[in-house]
Order: sequence, then C-alpha cells, then structure tokens
Amino acid sequence: MKIFSESHKTVFVVDHCPYMAESCRQHVEFDMLVKNRTQGIIPLAPISKSLWTCSVESSMEYCRIMYDIFPFKKLVNFIVSDSGAHVLNSWTQEDQNLQELMAALAAVGPPNPRADPECCSILHGLVAAVETLCKITEYQHEARTLLMENAERVGNRGRIICITNAKSDSHVRMLEDCVQETIHEHNKLAANSDHLMQIQKCELVLIHTYPVGEDSLVSDRTKKELSPVLTSEVHSVRAGRHLATKLNILVQQHFDLASTTITNIPMKEEQHANTSANYDVELLHHKDAHVDFLKSGDNHLSGSSREGSFKETITLKWCTPRTNNIELHYCTGAYRISPVDVNSRPSSCLTNFLLNDPRYKIDGSLEIPLERAKDQLEKHTRYWPMIISQTTIFNMQAVVPLASVIVKESLTEEDVLNCQKTIYNLVDMERKNDPLPISTVGTRGKGPKRDEQYRIMWNELETLVRAHINNSEKHQRVLECLMACRSKPPEEEERKKRGRKREDKEDKSEKAVKDYEQEKSWQDSERLKGILERGKEELAEAEIIKDSPDSPEPPNKKPLVEMDETPPVEKSKGPVSLLSLWSNRINTANSRKHQEFAGRLNSVNNRAELYQHLKEENGMETTENGKASRQ
Amino acid sequence: MPTVVVMDVSLSMTRPVSIEGSEEYQRKHLAAHGLTMLFEHMATNYKLEFTALVVFSSLWELMVPFTRDYNTLQEALSNMDDYDKTCLESALVGVCNIVQQEWGGAIPCQVVLVTDGCLGIGRGSLRHSLATHNQRSESNRFPLPFPFPSKLYIMCMANLEELQSTDSLDCLERLIDLNNGEGQIFTIDGPLCLKNVQSMFGKLIDLAYTPFHAVLKCGHLTADVQVFPRPEPFVIDEEIDPIPKVINTDLEIVGFIDIADISSPPVLSRHLVLPIALNKEGDEVGTGITDDNEDENSANQIAGKIPNFCVLLHGSLKVEGMVAIVQLGPEWHGMLYSQADSKKKSNLMMSLFEPGPEPLPWLGKMVQLGPISDAKENPYGEDDNKSPFPLQPKNKRSYAQNVTVWIKPSGLQTDVQKILRNARKLPEKTQTFYKELNRLRKAALAFGFLDLLKGVADMLERECTLLPDTAHPDAAFQLTHAAQQLKLASTGTSEYAGYDHNITPLQTDFSGSSAERI
Repeated sequence: MKIFSESHKTVFVVDHCPYMAESCRQHVEFDMLVKNRTQGIIPLAPISKSLWTCSVESSMEYCRIMYDIFPFKKLVNFIVSDSGAHVLNSWTQEDQNLQELMAALAAVGPPNPRADPECCSILHGLVAAVETLCKITEYQHEARTLLMENAERVGNRGRIICITNAKSDSHVRMLEDCVQETIHEHNKLAANSDHLMQIQKCELVLIHTYPVGEDSLVSDRTKKELSPVLTSEVHSVRAGRHLATKLNILVQQHFDLASTTITNIPMKEEQHANTSANYDVELLHHKDAHVDFLKSGDNHLSGSSREGSFKETITLKWCTPRTNNIELHYCTGAYRISPVDVNSRPSSCLTNFLLNDPRYKIDGSLEIPLERAKDQLEKHTRYWPMIISQTTIFNMQAVVPLASVIVKESLTEEDVLNCQKTIYNLVDMERKNDPLPISTVGTRGKGPKRDEQYRIMWNELETLVRAHINNSEKHQRVLECLMACRSKPPEEEERKKRGRKREDKEDKSEKAVKDYEQEKSWQDSERLKGILERGKEELAEAEIIKDSPDSPEPPNKKPLVEMDETPPVEKSKGPVSLLSLWSNRINTANSRKHQEFAGRLNSVNNRAELYQHLKEENGMETTENGKASRQ
Repeated sequence: MPTVVVMDVSLSMTRPVSIEGSEEYQRKHLAAHGLTMLFEHMATNYKLEFTALVVFSSLWELMVPFTRDYNTLQEALSNMDDYDKTCLESALVGVCNIVQQEWGGAIPCQVVLVTDGCLGIGRGSLRHSLATHNQRSESNRFPLPFPFPSKLYIMCMANLEELQSTDSLDCLERLIDLNNGEGQIFTIDGPLCLKNVQSMFGKLIDLAYTPFHAVLKCGHLTADVQVFPRPEPFVIDEEIDPIPKVINTDLEIVGFIDIADISSPPVLSRHLVLPIALNKEGDEVGTGITDDNEDENSANQIAGKIPNFCVLLHGSLKVEGMVAIVQLGPEWHGMLYSQADSKKKSNLMMSLFEPGPEPLPWLGKMVQLGPISDAKENPYGEDDNKSPFPLQPKNKRSYAQNVTVWIKPSGLQTDVQKILRNARKLPEKTQTFYKELNRLRKAALAFGFLDLLKGVADMLERECTLLPDTAHPDAAFQLTHAAQQLKLASTGTSEYAGYDHNITPLQTDFSGSSAERI
C-alpha cells in the first residue's frame, strides 16, 4: 500500500440530525438474571440502540481495528453533521486514538429528536469533509519537505465514509453532486495555497442506514467513477449489528486486511482452575501475512468466519511457544493484529498472554543515542588485540579496573584513583617478581625472562592508556602516573646499540599510537608483535653471546659489583667457560679504565715480589720473600 | 540465489556461424562458450551458489540438478545432443517444477534462458503460447510469472537485426512483461563470434553475478567481506521514493543487543558474511578456485594466519547470545548474528531489516538506541534480570486497554453483569463496583446510549429493594447513590454527563457515628 493512498486520510461523516435518534428496532436484553436468584422478579424491559448509537459504535469499531493495525500514518477525521458541521478532531497523530474520539463524541451527545429537521443536514458534514481532505497532514508535510523540488510526488487522496439516513436514490445523487462540486471549488482554493493540497482522488462511501423491519428507500450501488477525482459507492444497510458487520467488511477492504483464526488454544477455566478447554480466536491483520502462505499452495482456508464476515479466514493451530528466547528464528514478516471480538474472554486471554509486562523506556538525551553508541565502539576498539596470546594486560585480572574505565569518554576522580591503584598494584607485583600470563607459544625455550615480561606488560599498558590520553585531562593524569611508576625504559644509548632494524619498528609502532584515529588497529597488534619479536631477538642475542666472545654486551646486563670479587681463572687450562670469558672481558674492560698496579704487571704466577729494591741493595742474601721484612 | 540455466537444444541451434579462417562453429557452440564463461565466473565468485542445467526442445530434461559442482555442469555442456523443435512453454513449466520442488516459493531464483530466437512452430511454439495466453484456466496456467521471486535473463544467440526481422524480439519481450518485468533480454552486438558472445555474457555477469564486497567495521576493527548472496536493491515506496535503495559497501556496526530483545525480527533477506583476503596490490584474492591454484592457496594460507575481525565477531556473538546492529544505509539497518548450520558448524550471517527509522516497533526508533552506560540506571538491572524491551507504545492497542464494545449483545451483558455482581458484594467491592460503573457510563455517553444509563439505574434501584436483611447498611446507600448519579447522567445535561466526570462512592461512616451514639 502506498503511504499516501486513499487510506492515508479517512473522514467519517456521521449524521446527527433528529431522525438519527430513532430506534434501530433491535432489542438488547441487558438485565440477564443470574442463577439462584429470587424467584418472581420480572426482568427489566429490553432496550434498543438509536440509529446514532449504532452508527457511532460501528465507526468506532472501524477505527479501533484500523488504529490497532496501523497506529501511524493512517488517520481519521471525525465529523458529525446537524445544523452545522462539528469536526471532532484533527489529522495530527496525537488526535488519533479511540479515547480522544470517544470523549469528543460524548461531548456531542445523542441527536436531539426535538430539533428542527429543516435546519439539519448531512451536507454540512460533507462540505467540511472535503475541506478537511485538503488540509495537509504532518506526514504529507514531512514528505514534501524532504522531497523539495519533487514535492508534487506526494499524493493527496482520501476517503469519506458517510453514515446517514437518505430519503431516496435521488437524494443520494444530490449528496454525490454536492461532494463533487465542493471538491472542484476547494481544489481551486488549494491551488493557490501553500498549506492546502488539491484532492487528487476521493472515494466516497455512502452508507444509508435504516431501522430493522423498514424497507430501504435507497438502493445499493457498487463503486462508480463520477469524475476523475471522485468515485462513489452506496451501501444500504439495516442498523444494529448489520451496520457493524458492514463497517467491519469495509475496514478489511479499505486496509487490505485478512483474517486468521488461531484454533485450539488451551485456556484455564475460570470456574475450574485445574481444567483447561480449547478456544479459537479470530484475528485481523494485513493480508500480506498470508502471501507466502497462499503461494505455498498449502492453504488452510476454512469456510466463512462466524457472524458472516465476507472473507475466508485461515486457520492456524496454536502451538505453545517454548520459553527459549535466546534462539533466533528466521522470520519473513511480522504483522500487527487486532482481535475481531476484542473483549470476548478467549480474545483477551490470548492478548494478555502475548502482551508482556509493562516495561519502561530509555530516556533519550539531546545527542543522538545511536551516534553515542558508535562513538563508544570507536573508543573501545582503539586498542584491541585480536589474539588472546598476543596480549598480556587483557589476560590479567589486576589490569581490569584500569582497562574498563580508561575507554570512557570522561573519568571521575574515583576512576583516576582506581587507575592509579591499579598501576601501584602492578609495580608491587613487579617488585615481588610475580609471574605474568605471557604466552610462550611460538617462542623457543621458556619465553622472555621475568623483567622482560614486565617490560612487555608495561609497554602494552602504555599503548592502551596513550590511545585515550586525548579523551580528557584525567586520562592524561593516568598516563603520567603510569610513566612515573613503570620500570625505567632502557637507556637511550643501549637502544641505539640494538641496531637499525629495531629502531624502525619502534618508530612505526609509536606512530601507530599517535595516529590511532587514522590507522587501523591492527597496527597496535603489530606493535605488540614487534614487542614480542624484539623479545625473541634479544633472547637470540643471548644465545649468540654464548657462542661468540666478540658479541656486543647484552644491553640489559650491567656488570655487577660482585664480579670484581670472583677469583680470576687460569687462562691456559682447557676449554674456556662462559664465566671465565665474561670475567676476562670485564677485567679487560676495567683494566682500560685505570693504570694497572705496578706489582700486578710484574708478577709471576700472580705473585709479585715485594721490596725488590732491597734485594738489589743488599745483594743476593735474602732469597725468600718476606724474610727481609722481618729484618 | 540459485540459478537455472535453460538451454535450447533444438535443431536450429546447430545452424552454422561463419567465422573467417577457422573451423565451423554452430550457435550451440557459441552458447556453450558463453555458459562456460558464466560457470567459470560462478565457480570463482559464487562457489556457494547452486545451479541447475535444463535442456529443452519439444521435451525438456533436467541434465544437472542443483549443484555447486561446476565441473559437472561444464561436462554436461559438452555432452548435449541435438533434438527437434523449440517448445518454450513446456520448458518453463519444467523450470517452475524444478525450482518449487527444490526451493519452494519464497527463495528468489535466476533463470538464464539460452536460445537462438527461433521460437518454434505450431502448437507449443511461443507464438502459439502467447496467442492463447488469455484463454487459460487455472489448471493450465502459463508458467509466467514464475511462482517464486525471479529474474528471467534471455541470452539470444542472435543479433538484434536478426531478431527484429521476425517478431521474435516482441515475443521475448512479452515473456519478460509476463514475468512482471523481472528480467532482461541480451543480444549479440555485431557478428556472431566467440568474442561478441563473451561480451554478451560479460554483461550478464556484470548485471546479475557480480559479487558484493564490503568492509565490515566496528570502531577501529575492520574486515573485508563478501556478502552472499548479493543483497538486491529495495524499493520502499514506488510513489514517493521510487529509487531502489542499495546497501552501503561500508557496513558499520553501531551496537549490540540481546537475542531475547530483538526476538526473531522480520527480515527482507539473509546473507552469509564471508571474510575475503586482499593481496598486496589490493586485488581481491577471492574465495573460490582460480586457475592458479598455488598462488591462491598460499594467499589463503596467509589469510588464515592473519587475525580476522569476522572470526572475533562471530565467536563473540555466539558466546554472548547477542546480535550486532549494522548500519546498511541512511535509515536502514540490519543485524549480524551467528547462525548454526549444524551442531558443530555455524556461520556469520547478516539479515536486512526493512528500510525506515523504526523497522522493529518493539525497539523503538533505531537512532534512539544508545549505550547502556548513557542511561541513568542500568536498564537491564544490576543483576541483568530485566530488559527495557519491548517498548510500550504511547497509545496502547485496543486489546491492551480494556475498550468497551457493545456490538454484540453479549458484550453489553457481560459489562452489566460485572456491575451487578459487584453490587451484591457491597461494601467490600465498592472500588470495583464504581470502576465498572464508570466504564459503562463513559461508553454509554460516547455512544449516545442514554437509555442504557436509565436501564442500569433502574436495575440498581431494584437491587436495593432486594437486599437481604443481613446486608451492610452501606450497600443500600451506595446503590441508591449510584442509581441517582446514572439517572442524572442520562439526562444528557452537561453538568452530570461530562465524559471525564467519574461517579465517586458516597462518603459514609457507620463505625464512627454508631460508636458515638453508644
């Protein structure tokens, strides 16, 4: 159905002239005696509805079904006509509900049978109906504004449903002529107006209603084109339930509805709570719901539904749903429904089962929430390792308090405090030499050493925090805390020693952090990989050191003080141990830094003879060292 | 979507085509050449799709049932015999049967009809079929439009001039019209030769078989994907918005929601989301078999080692029981989810919602969905024991608001009896009594049914006289009061007949006054 088809605007024009106060002559027993009542009471006399009551309740039922199935974009304007036209509501969406209409109808009240019939006419209402059809609805306005220069594509069509008591076929003709003429006139007016629209198509549905038992003075007539703009059809219907049935058929035709009857729904009996009986409930909905069904050739069409509705109903057997709502089912369509018999017990039992408990709505903020959601995704994915073995910090429970808040747009003082606590806690872990969950997959041996593990962890944490420093000044403070606390990064000098290749990597990964907004996040993991590779390389270097005494010093290992005290090893004996090599190197290095002690230089087998000059002075008397001192 | 290739193997397809300086070709060779090209393309880009091959003359035969094995299809092409005359209608009936049997009536299907434009003679010829089109009964209805969503592509092994020299082109155009305009006719540009056949099939491929590549994004995480089958353009409203909407090639995830909250929503179509590898030059490596198997394998191997966002997303959605909401275009969304193929295998899939600001009424407007952290208090509760969905509509539907309908006498009788039942249990049921009374009063005033108000007033007065001696004195007071108020309302004078006016219980205090007297 097009948005702006005839069904976009429906005008009800209901006759409020004195003769509508007449009885429809269909009696309703309302004083139904309940069982076990005192004998001998005569029930109150049945009452009957007026033509007016029948017309109003049938039109309300039409609106009820329409609003249920089309809560938006299908609008009703309700007009009653007597000595003038009373327009009960407007096209605005707020006016489109049963409560509004019922209240307005109550204010109008039933027709006054003693009013002067000469002053009253349905024509006032019909003229007002045409007028109101020219008025633009908010949906039309919106569409026109959106289409700009194509605004003329927005159609203005509508339907007038007029319920009246006509005197004759020629009276009906007169009403049709009046509508046609009025459309002609108003279209001229609308052509020169910005806030009115010309009527392109109008469907007039004239319903002549009369008391049961009387002869109709008006004959039925199927839809006929009176002009390119106006079509008209005439229905002559007895009042009472016949009128209601007619309007039920019409609402189905006008809004392309179809009927489905759900059968065999088990319901608990009010009287006997332990037993359940099966009931059927008939529902109306858009007929698209049946399209695939009919295509499959497997139609469950049953005979005409109760109460002689004009259409077939498709019967479906009730299937109590499983309470598993975590599964997605393939669904090609979902349709709004309206129960045919809304307040029958089985209908209300079914609808109450299907309706969930009232729940509440999320408050909308000024900003578009969906944009905020996207923004949040952007923040959360600034640093996101794809592989669990490539991350340390996201494998650490201890990091969670920081990682969960740092992605926020803004931090509270408490958040900052928690982040700082997290960092202190990590420092503490490092001091205690706690193990870290660093994956050894893909690395040879046991993986990086403990201090190297911490270096990787600190680097990763820094990457995470740096990705968010522009969020707020408090984020900046978290980074400052991190930088102050983390174990010192390697000295600049030593970094240089690590060679050109590694430098490149370092630069690249640092750039990735700076340009996180432009760069794909892979580069973060690239950086991480870089860190790991570096770890591996260093490990490999350590191995190289074992083999070749000429390798440069390992960057991290500063000569330890204790080394000076290790006893020198004999150079000449057998294969050289790493320790001796090491000591040698250290000694060599140290030796360059000071002038060697003269005694050591002249020593034989590490023994230097003291007081040699005395020996020279005294000739060859003293042969043993030391003796001379005792002299 | 599946494809049925319908190949004309009538004698006219064996007409020779003169190509200078080479061996003699027949039209069927050209056709086979074109189809080979199509099959090769599909094997590379559409390897998940099913294709069937039907050949026809006066009879039709399903040469290859729906398969993904393009080698089998290719082999069948070289094993086709020549038969008698063209009889298109029976072949199209055959296509209807084959497709409906395999796919039912809801799966869209493409039909590629390969013919030379000679439409047969006598009974069963297309001219005859079209001439008798209006005299069909339901039992021998013409097979078009196909009883499933379809596109009919007619590949003519003839050029335009040749077809226009007879009424062939008109007849074929009628066929497309009969299929509700769904489809297109392709003819050979210029002389009939392999090159021109290739370019004709190339056009078909461009139109109907180009794979849909997109970039799936979630914040900074991205993946190159193929969406399969290709999402088709969608027209929302022919009148206001007649331009078909096409989905973005940037598919941006905007958020995640519980499966229970989205609860099996209606969708336009479903698609597999397959990660694709892009090589250094930015050319797509493809997910299918290429001539250069080695290259492709190594590329796939490399691709297999690179962490892919699709894998992360699929796994997460599966574990969390959630779907990702994805933006497809302006005011157009869809969802990504894990769909179990079997117990062990599941796939990342994407379903498209109907375009519009509010495709799923129970979620409200899409742009109003936002991060949980923005809400003042967690809408899911601290223990995740509640949900903000489904949203309640501003105006409740009739079945949720206790409307009054008296079209059937039983409706009216039930409402009156409710009042009566409560009247007999006064004063305990005072609140319910007045609630039901006011409901009836409101409806009667709206319907202008003042006689009912009088009638119910009379009934309440009678009830008052029938009260047993043991009845609480308040019962009589309330009944009299209620009856009096209804009578006033039934006069219709505005003072008492206001719609929003409610009859309130009469203020009585028996305990207090009697205690004082004692």
